[in-house]
Amino acid sequence: MIDKLIMFSLTRRWLIMFLVLIVAALGVWNYQKLPIDAVPDITNIQVQINTEAPGYSPLEVEQRVTYLVELAITGLPYVESTRSISRYALSQVTVVFEKGTDIYFARNLINERLQQAKSEMPSGIEPVMGPVATGLGEIFHYAVHAEPDAVQDNGEPYDSTALRTLQDWVIRPQLRLVPGVTEINTIGGFEKEFHVTPTAAQLLAYGLTFDDLVGALEANNANVGAGYIEKNGEQYLIRAPGQVADLSEMGNIVVATRDGLPIRLSDVADIGYGKQLRTGAATLDGKETVLGTAVMLLGGNSRTVSEAVASKLSAINKTLPEGVVAEPVYNRTVLVDKTISTVQTNLVEGALLVVVVLLVMLGNIRAALLTAMVIPLSMLMLMTGMVQTKVSANLMSLGALDFGLIVDGAVIIVENCIARLAARQHELGRLLKRSERFETVFAATREVFTPSLISVLVVILVNLPILALTGVEGKMFTPMAMAVIMALLSALVLSLTFVPAAVALLLTGRIQEKENFIVRSAKQVYRPVLEAALSLRIPVLLGALVFIGVCVGIASRMGTEFVPNLDEGDVAIQALRIPGTSLTQSLDMQFQLEKAILELPEVKTYFSRVGTAEVASDPMGPNISDGYVMLKPRAEWPEPNKTKAQLLEDMKAKLALLPGNAFEISQPIQLRFNELISGVRSDLGIKVFGDDLDQLLASGSEIAAVLNDIEGAEGVKIEQVAGLPILSVQADREALSRYGLNVAELQEVVAAATGGEEAGLVFEGDRRFAIVVRLDESLRNDLAELERLPIPLPGGQYVPISEVASLELAPGANQISRENGKRRLVVSTNVRGRDLGGFVAEAQRQIEDKVSMLPGYWLGYGGTFEQLQSASQRLSVLVPVTLVMIFALLMVTFGSARDAALVFSGVPLALTGGVIALWARDIPLSITAGVGFITLCGVSVLTGVMMVSAFRDRLRQGMDIDEAIRSGAMLRLRPILMVALVAALGFLPMALNTSTGAEVQRPLATVVIGGIISSTLLTLLVLPGLYLMVNRSTDFTESDHDR
Amino acid sequence: MINIQTFRKLGAACTLTFLSVFALTLPALAEQESHEGEEHEGAHIELSAEQIEHAGITLEKAGPGMLFETLKVYGSVKPNPEHSQSITARFEGQITSFNKSIGDTVKRGEKLVTIEANDSLQRYNLIASIDGVVTQRQANVGEQTNGRTLLKIDDLSNVWVELSLFPKDLEAVSIGQQVRVQDKQGAILAEGEISYISPIAQTDSRSVTARVPLENRQRTLIPGSFVVGQITLSQDRVPLLIDKQAIQIVEERSVVFVKGHEGFEPREVELGRSDGLSIEVLDGLQVGETYVAANSFVLKSELGKEDAEHGH
Repeated sequence: MIDKLIMFSLTRRWLIMFLVLIVAALGVWNYQKLPIDAVPDITNIQVQINTEAPGYSPLEVEQRVTYLVELAITGLPYVESTRSISRYALSQVTVVFEKGTDIYFARNLINERLQQAKSEMPSGIEPVMGPVATGLGEIFHYAVHAEPDAVQDNGEPYDSTALRTLQDWVIRPQLRLVPGVTEINTIGGFEKEFHVTPTAAQLLAYGLTFDDLVGALEANNANVGAGYIEKNGEQYLIRAPGQVADLSEMGNIVVATRDGLPIRLSDVADIGYGKQLRTGAATLDGKETVLGTAVMLLGGNSRTVSEAVASKLSAINKTLPEGVVAEPVYNRTVLVDKTISTVQTNLVEGALLVVVVLLVMLGNIRAALLTAMVIPLSMLMLMTGMVQTKVSANLMSLGALDFGLIVDGAVIIVENCIARLAARQHELGRLLKRSERFETVFAATREVFTPSLISVLVVILVNLPILALTGVEGKMFTPMAMAVIMALLSALVLSLTFVPAAVALLLTGRIQEKENFIVRSAKQVYRPVLEAALSLRIPVLLGALVFIGVCVGIASRMGTEFVPNLDEGDVAIQALRIPGTSLTQSLDMQFQLEKAILELPEVKTYFSRVGTAEVASDPMGPNISDGYVMLKPRAEWPEPNKTKAQLLEDMKAKLALLPGNAFEISQPIQLRFNELISGVRSDLGIKVFGDDLDQLLASGSEIAAVLNDIEGAEGVKIEQVAGLPILSVQADREALSRYGLNVAELQEVVAAATGGEEAGLVFEGDRRFAIVVRLDESLRNDLAELERLPIPLPGGQYVPISEVASLELAPGANQISRENGKRRLVVSTNVRGRDLGGFVAEAQRQIEDKVSMLPGYWLGYGGTFEQLQSASQRLSVLVPVTLVMIFALLMVTFGSARDAALVFSGVPLALTGGVIALWARDIPLSITAGVGFITLCGVSVLTGVMMVSAFRDRLRQGMDIDEAIRSGAMLRLRPILMVALVAALGFLPMALNTSTGAEVQRPLATVVIGGIISSTLLTLLVLPGLYLMVNRSTDFTESDHDR
Repeated sequence: MINIQTFRKLGAACTLTFLSVFALTLPALAEQESHEGEEHEGAHIELSAEQIEHAGITLEKAGPGMLFETLKVYGSVKPNPEHSQSITARFEGQITSFNKSIGDTVKRGEKLVTIEANDSLQRYNLIASIDGVVTQRQANVGEQTNGRTLLKIDDLSNVWVELSLFPKDLEAVSIGQQVRVQDKQGAILAEGEISYISPIAQTDSRSVTARVPLENRQRTLIPGSFVVGQITLSQDRVPLLIDKQAIQIVEERSVVFVKGHEGFEPREVELGRSDGLSIEVLDGLQVGETYVAANSFVLKSELGKEDAEHGH
């Protein structure tokens, strides 16, 4: 079949060229559609259901909202797991779907069920699904602020309420329309509200209640349409407007009549603009601000979307009132551009180096160019493949591509064709006829096709274990493996079709038969060295073995990391304070923090979100803040060469001065990922499921005690579910009954006084603002005042709250976590100094023995040990299978286990070079380095197969074994050197680059370059000797491997 | 959040599996990163002067001080019944003249009404026996007296404020306590003493009335109006008083952060009485010790920050 394909390509070469053109065009077209981002998206398929329940404490939220939502989604198809948290005023249920589920389908399913659940919830409470976005979604942040001297229409300076109003009603509606944006999330400032604030005494004096005020407001603030009448042939529409327009109209509303006199609202309450009870705030450089975040629709192209948002924002800026600015503070385009330009530079420079190598080694510009053509062509084919398989272009997926490896197959084919054509010309002493040329090209391609096929197959095989990774690791590295495999397959197809066809078309003239200077001198050097290596083969072999041993030692001592962190260029600081910290306190502490960090000369701006934003995609308590530190361009730093690590140290030193905060330093995208995919983050998490929170905590403490006694446990932690100070107004039912009151009447007074009661809306054009009746701010915060609040009695009398209820301040539930429909508490621990599996087994045994669970309570074991176990299980099956398959492949090729083993033996030595190179550059082992080792396997097998098959060919032709090895090795010197040089030089820019994103590619490139040097040395020096040793005594007979 | 440790381990596992298997003999070992073990801080929190300044912490010395305990109650202004006079005719007759009308001030001994007695046809005058204001007038010239109250004089320079006390308040309130009377907006109108606490409670609100007689020369207290009373329950000098902001609840115990040699130490204290600003310490703190007053929360936060986490 392969023969036919090559033949077809030769005879129908123009057709092939045309097809290649079409494929290229398709690639260009697909490139436009390819989602480009800086890093791979590691978010799972999840739908968040957020429900705001203003005023509800965690317990009430769980009971009245979360449970209902969970109940509604139980039994949906394709659901992998659900988890929920119930916090103050917010319920968030996260539904994780199975891999591959269509997100819109999933949302539809949920939507259907939510409709049912809604009817059972308290009125006014509405579950809403979070935006259709992933962890990469937050692509653009902007801060709305006013110049110090800017004033509003009424002459007052802009406060955070005014800015928030502009954001909500001017900026946000416009930005939401930008294609690719699914949500504009707002945090900070205060939503404007109209506040009616009576004092208790005022109400008491007139015998009024909160309800009377709310009722009066509601009854005097509505427009009514009243149909139409016909008059003299005309039709008059009738409306009865009754909405209040402003504060003074509101104040004139009559609440009650006493002794024939109307009591107006303004007589019993102060009326003014007020501030909402907010759950979050935003800061910019030590001051409060209003922060907007553009969230990109799932699957969008972050670069184009954030560019569109930026240009829309600058257009909006022109329409804002004078002195008010919406300033971009974070734009994803910057990072993506930097990353992509790093990848591009590396690829272009690599490709150029490859062309130069080809030119020098082949001495034929046409051949060099046509080989180099394989690079862009296979890239374009890869683009098509990536769009089809929904792999996004990013540092990971494109970063592992090595042009050297891609063109290897083409290189050896072209090299062989040139050698053969030159030889044939020399033989015939004239230019070749077309048929002769085709024949030669066919034979030359056919001859070296096997090694190139095998090298590709080997690389694909070694990539298989990576494809088997699941979870976060899978999401991160599968695209990488997919891209490599697709690029190699493309190159393979091209080298079978395009390369022979192009060779046949282009290499028509006289082919230089003489090798150029470089190859000649290489051969001159190689000949004596090979002789020496052959005669000293045993010491050489022993030397190689010792070398491998040394490298094993080095490798075992090397540091490891999972994946080198992509430097996003900016820093994220999450500051955590103890639960129960108030928003105001948290903000004060945040201001201090920002001022301290801004003292660093490298910092441009620092903005943060404290607490929960309007769309609660990340439900943080007010005690937590997500801060983003934007750095100046390096050129503006006082020391442009300062490393990021040094800068982080400086930051930590500054942060250490601020007591009361704990910090987690990461990077903006990383932070968001962490928030979205969080599960149990320790090695072992023991989940206690049950009903009673106290019992859960008690069991959790017992388990923690048991864990602490087990050797190897470190950092045992019980999930922090309590600690939120809660002031309970405990009704004294007996006292209430003496006064003829119901609990509800007490609750109403408490709720209206502190939380406030909504009493309709005020419309200003499109804008609508809530009217809220509640106690004055100064009184709300006074516990003594709360105790004395009068509850109206049926007879017009009153009784203070303290008579019928007691106020108890006690720490209560901070948040209630649930998993798969049950309350859950996690006890987590890390394991140090012993194997995880053994630890988990012992922990399970000990907990079973020592902790007795009440009926209705059960345990679940989770944590990263699950991933580790499943990953190592997979790998322990797949890696041997892969090895057997590679060996089988070589067996089939050579028809001889011995030769297969010979080629196979080259792999360890190839890897040693990689290890040495990493060690020399002080780079830790990582998965990307691992991918480098995979590439090395391919190259090593390729050169090994080329070498061994050359020996075998010569032996088959009846040559003496010594002679066969010598001439075979000399013949293969050029292609092996070319393959090695091409692969190594192709990675050189990647290894040396230091710009954004380079840190991910550097280990890979380093490994390949180091490994190729050792692999080439092995193939050229050790392999011939080894082959000689193994085959000397054997009487070589023809095997039937030729297919 | 992705655990770096996990990454390291998995990374090590994957990479090393490749390495080890391909190299056939590579018995690579994952290097355990030494965990940056943070010892849970002991009882002391050390802060530098710079940190104290950054955190906005203020230090105070514990010592004796005055404690004002108050109670807020509601009530209304009543005319003092002991300072009012109802004018009725001594002998029934016809009213011949009125000298005073509603709102007029009268002096003691002033002539108010002249009546011609029906029996004797003698004219006689009705005289004011107190200073005051005419607050009611029920009759006019030419009418028969018919046993009616003709005029009412109230001495508004003396009024009663009647405050409603609820059962729980009664223990603390006693006769002789000072009361500050405010209007419903909170402006201070007068100050006086509780002179009487009614022994009988109202039936529907179960409240009892406490009386505060007040001078009302400026006429700021308008009978019938609604007032707020702040009763000073105690006004004591206590041996050990601290700023109320200093108290933090840590693990359900009241704690004050005390400055020691090695830093700030959270110390459990037994608390006594308190007013809005200060609180009495019964045990746990010595006179002269320095404690954290403002922003003591920062120290509580510092103490608990190891456990602060962002759970999902």
